[in-house]
Amino acid sequence: MIDLEKQGELLSLIGETLKKKVECYIVGGSAMMYHGVKGETKDIDVVFNDNESKEIFEKVLKKLGYKERDIKIMYFKKKNRPLLLERGEERIDLFIKKVITFEITENIKERIEKVYEYGNLIVKIVSPEDIILFKCATERPGDRIDAKKIIENFDINWNVIIEEAVNQTKLESYLFPVYLYDFLEELKEDFKAEIPKEILKEIRKISEDLLVKKLKKK
Amino acid sequence: MNKSILRKLKGLNTIETIQKKLNIKRSTAIKKIHELRKLNYIETSGGGKQPRLYRIHINKIVKIGNPGLYDIINKNSPIKLSRPFEERIIGKKLSIEEVIIRAIKTEDYRVILASLPLFNKVKDFSKLYNLAKKENIRRKLGALYEVARKTVKTKKIDDKHLKLMLKAKDKKKFVVPNAKSKDFMDIENKWKVYIPFNKQDLWRLKE
Repeated sequence: MIDLEKQGELLSLIGETLKKKVECYIVGGSAMMYHGVKGETKDIDVVFNDNESKEIFEKVLKKLGYKERDIKIMYFKKKNRPLLLERGEERIDLFIKKVITFEITENIKERIEKVYEYGNLIVKIVSPEDIILFKCATERPGDRIDAKKIIENFDINWNVIIEEAVNQTKLESYLFPVYLYDFLEELKEDFKAEIPKEILKEIRKISEDLLVKKLKKK
Repeated sequence: MNKSILRKLKGLNTIETIQKKLNIKRSTAIKKIHELRKLNYIETSGGGKQPRLYRIHINKIVKIGNPGLYDIINKNSPIKLSRPFEERIIGKKLSIEEVIIRAIKTEDYRVILASLPLFNKVKDFSKLYNLAKKENIRRKLGALYEVARKTVKTKKIDDKHLKLMLKAKDKKKFVVPNAKSKDFMDIENKWKVYIPFNKQDLWRLKE
């Protein structure tokens, strides 16, 4: 497990080692630490805008002793899987623009409220609403509990979540609202998360419309 | 900390609004503020002649590193900028020279305007020149320095660096993309860059 202090030390070291500026987005549990709602995390999820930035970052991590780990253990056969790098108990997942079924869009970038500069490494922290969406995309153990925690601790703007889910349908993930509905429904049922009924109803309607359209196309 | 209390108090408060929202005495409200501050849920502004304001967050404030561009400009300029995001610099402190260069690089009208009074806080013009050289913005820097000098108190740059800046062969002419003004033609002609401000804009720096 890694806490904010250890993560900061690691990012500072990476930032000092980098020879030119690299920008990345922190999503998931480590983003929650910056928002003050999580003490420690199993892994650091880092998303890059392009392959070049990812490769520069990867090179530095390998120099620091991080080794590649088998991806299937965590992500099975999912699309847009990350590169997993591990050193002791610390794991860093590197994604390029897309996290499984979810893509970093301009709207997500505009919602960023926190930016940290670690030497040459510019770290942007995604908003709580977007963390929920990323959690929905990855669906790893612990993701649902984290999502519940975010819902408990922030005044979530559910319209942002709906708009972004719809936005994703125009990209690679046509059925994202369907996954989101499943994810939120489960959160409400199994974890008693406070998700407004009308929001679930709206996402369900969007999902059904998308599925009908898809079936008609076939 | 009880989340329901934090929810009630979330946002900007005075001591009176805290009293009212929690239905407590003034002395109890002061104790509550003290408790919240200790636990990192509260940011305080004002004091002295201004009324003290308390911004209360539902979640703990994570304050790491040092202030970024917007915070440093806001501290040193009469024009206050609203931050598009919270920016923190880890492991070092931004110098005034770096802030001026970063402000110019934003190509943002308000950021550059608000940064002009920072010329009075420059400690090392040689450092400022070298940073501008690295970013290819020496002519812009020189022109903005002269604009600032016409409006606000600034430290005087030495002739050597002024001449070097004037000799620079930077390509970009617009300080702010596609923005020109007729009020500083002399400076524009001398430095061959377009100044986006007019004289009225700069009066705001004197307020």
